[in-house]
Amino acid sequence: MTRTEILNELKKVFAPYTTNKELLSKINDDTDLIRDLKINSANLVDIIIDAENKYNIEIDFDAADKMINVGSCIDVIREKLEQKNVEYR
Amino acid sequence: MNKKMLSTGNDIVSLNAINKTRTNQPGFYSKILSDTEKALYKELLPAGIAFENFVWLLWSIKESAYKYLQRNTPGLVFSPTRFVVQRIEPPFGYATTNIESSETEGTGFGNRPVLKSVITFGSDTLYSKSFIYRELIVSVVNSNEDFENTSWGIKFISSSDPEYQSTAVRIFLVARLNKLLKLDGVTISKSPHGFPLILSHDEHIEIPVSLSHHDQWVAYSFQLA
Repeated sequence: MTRTEILNELKKVFAPYTTNKELLSKINDDTDLIRDLKINSANLVDIIIDAENKYNIEIDFDAADKMINVGSCIDVIREKLEQKNVEYR
Repeated sequence: MNKKMLSTGNDIVSLNAINKTRTNQPGFYSKILSDTEKALYKELLPAGIAFENFVWLLWSIKESAYKYLQRNTPGLVFSPTRFVVQRIEPPFGYATTNIESSETEGTGFGNRPVLKSVITFGSDTLYSKSFIYRELIVSVVNSNEDFENTSWGIKFISSSDPEYQSTAVRIFLVARLNKLLKLDGVTISKSPHGFPLILSHDEHIEIPVSLSHHDQWVAYSFQLA
């Protein structure tokens, strides 16, 4: 999956947890989940689990710690998808 | 970390806004609690506290501890499992009740029915006091067990819109600062690292403060020397 494909899917993951739909449509790598999208920190675990379910990946503690902005979320998902593909080969 | 450096950290969880079913799933709570922390639930069973509320209690303690440390360690990342709740102690004969008022404030916790806990993060040891009501959980963290100079407030607001939450908690805090410290021209700013700063006529006042909001509840804490 390309970064753009993951970005478009991530918008759907974030959607239930932000009221700022206008900003959501314009997110980029630097968009901070809490500061910019105003996602409550209590929903961060929901986002990790929703991403795990969407991509059928497991996001460990170290990876979850990095998911602060959109760019780092994409990095983590790409890395986990690549690991999964290596395991399947 | 310099223990003499004042800080404070608080967090509020609206129990009407949590997903109870999801919270009870191991895939969810295992991202917040370690195995040793899961075992602490037995301390809360006599008080009739539901498991999902136990999970969110520990979340609020950990997030408060993170906010406490983050003020003096700006690059710190919130990693729930690295903040370890070592001990948790409900008050004797504890039973969950409804919150007594839509707005409540205090300094210290006196004889109030609070749960006490001890949290570690690496070599740091912190202490917390938490209220659990049917509607919400709120925690406040300090670096010692003395909360006599810790002021706090909890308020129900009319909207869960993030902009409204942010404005409402600041108005709530400023009113308390005006009342308690006779400060005027008070505004609340944000440091480049995201924690709130108290200004009086645009001059930084060295009182550490923490703000939190969830759903239609907001809370603050601040720590005086």
